[in-house]
Amino acid sequence: MMAAGAFLGGATSRLLPASIPFRFFGAAVAYHLLAWLALLAGAQWFPRFEAGLGWPLAALHLVTLGVLVMTAIGASLQLLPVATRQAVRSTRWPAAIWWLYTPGVAAVALGMGAVLPWLMAVGAAAVVLALLAYAALLAGNLRGARGMPGVVVHGWAAWVCLLVVLATALALALFWLGVPLLDRATALALHVAFAAYGFMGLLALGLSYILVPMFALSAAPDERLAIASCGLAVAALALAALAAFGVAPQALRVFVIAVAGAAVALHLWQMREALRKGMRRELGRSFTLVRVGWTMLACSLVAALGVVLDAPLGGLVTLFGLLLIVGWLLTFLLGILQRILPFLASMHLARGSKRPPTPSSLSAERPLVVHFSCHLAAVAGLALAVVAESPPIAALAAGVGALGAAAFGVFFVTLQRRMRASARPRQTAAPPVA
Amino acid sequence: MMQIRSAAVEYPADPGAGAGTTSPCAAPGTASGDLRSPPGKRWRDADGEHIDVRGLAPPGPLVAIVRLIESVADATPVIVHHDRDPVLLYPELAERGWVAETIAGEAGEVRLKLQKG
Repeated sequence: MMAAGAFLGGATSRLLPASIPFRFFGAAVAYHLLAWLALLAGAQWFPRFEAGLGWPLAALHLVTLGVLVMTAIGASLQLLPVATRQAVRSTRWPAAIWWLYTPGVAAVALGMGAVLPWLMAVGAAAVVLALLAYAALLAGNLRGARGMPGVVVHGWAAWVCLLVVLATALALALFWLGVPLLDRATALALHVAFAAYGFMGLLALGLSYILVPMFALSAAPDERLAIASCGLAVAALALAALAAFGVAPQALRVFVIAVAGAAVALHLWQMREALRKGMRRELGRSFTLVRVGWTMLACSLVAALGVVLDAPLGGLVTLFGLLLIVGWLLTFLLGILQRILPFLASMHLARGSKRPPTPSSLSAERPLVVHFSCHLAAVAGLALAVVAESPPIAALAAGVGALGAAAFGVFFVTLQRRMRASARPRQTAAPPVA
Repeated sequence: MMQIRSAAVEYPADPGAGAGTTSPCAAPGTASGDLRSPPGKRWRDADGEHIDVRGLAPPGPLVAIVRLIESVADATPVIVHHDRDPVLLYPELAERGWVAETIAGEAGEVRLKLQKG
């Protein structure tokens, strides 16, 4: 007999080497801290920030590209082969993508913050190339998927959105270089909708159909409802694209928000059922963050409606962006990440081990407690800064957010150290009996 | 700390019980998410409690196996009949103090013996 996980080349090859997903997660953790620091640097402009080069835009892209997309790449390349029963296609390409993408994000953010369009363009080129390579890998994983049609449909929809995001990002970068490829307002409207609700949003919703039942220990949600939710979201995005090109913009956008609301309601109902019927009821702080993220997703649609109807509230566009990017996507992702990192670490350490360390023994609770309080306080502080149009409150909130991000970094470093400590005795011990 | 809701185990009628051989998997997981009738065919044999989770989509096998080991009160081993290496299962086993070993199975089958460590 041999230890589980060590015996089937074909089966264990559904796992990437641990260093690959964890390098994406590690970079995301570092960019998370840098994002809050960039926001601190641009706090005076934050309360009424809508667009334009500067540190608030750099902070936004450190979150979107540096944290959200970085994590999405690592998580999707690792989880899709496991969930859809197929072998990992390549280990070199994911590593190459990381080496191209990570400095590219840094160049984009520095170019935006320091107002250096040439640096931003160089970084954008690297990011676009890396994401095209990622899109090819993702397409391969989705084509080879067996089962889980709800997840796969979300993956394909996110894949199409990624292409729209890359095209509009190119148009926006060229605009800053004096080469208008597309009307800037149109490109911006498409970029925001297809990046946040499209690519990242659909990936988050799709991977939730794997992750939430897995953590709650409940049966997989109904595939037909998952596909219906995805269909509504795709319809909303398609209509939003029409509105961005000037087709009945206000009326169509109100309808888009209604359709998106139906998609979100259907998804959240399935998640609620998965949690309600799961064997594991107590999911701790991580799922408090997930629930806050879901609430912020719904709130972002309400804010979007306010923006479309020109509601008389100063800073509503900024508030919408805050609810969407930080409130929904970042909060949700950090909740999932703090739960999945120890789980993935234990899963990798189970290779060739009869008795892998438990996820809880690899985790670090105290830094997560600090992060939890700081993150929620920072999001609330930023919302207050927008409403009160107060740069000092924005600076204070960014400082608290940076403290929380540093605590999350301590959690990640502790996890890495415990992983290495757990792996060391097994490397020196005799190999399992074959 | 994680809290696991205790669950009564229901054994579906199994014409192959006691035969000591694996059987095709029962109906796939309940699409409604109802766990009162957990998926996976189960039977008892001389070498322990058996569960066949072949053909179930994730996280069906994980849920069915965890539900079964949660119900095992003594040191009875659990034999899992699977169609793939259940990589998602090992962290959950570790949290519960269970260990997994592969044992010989049919062609194309991954058979695991789970025991309390």
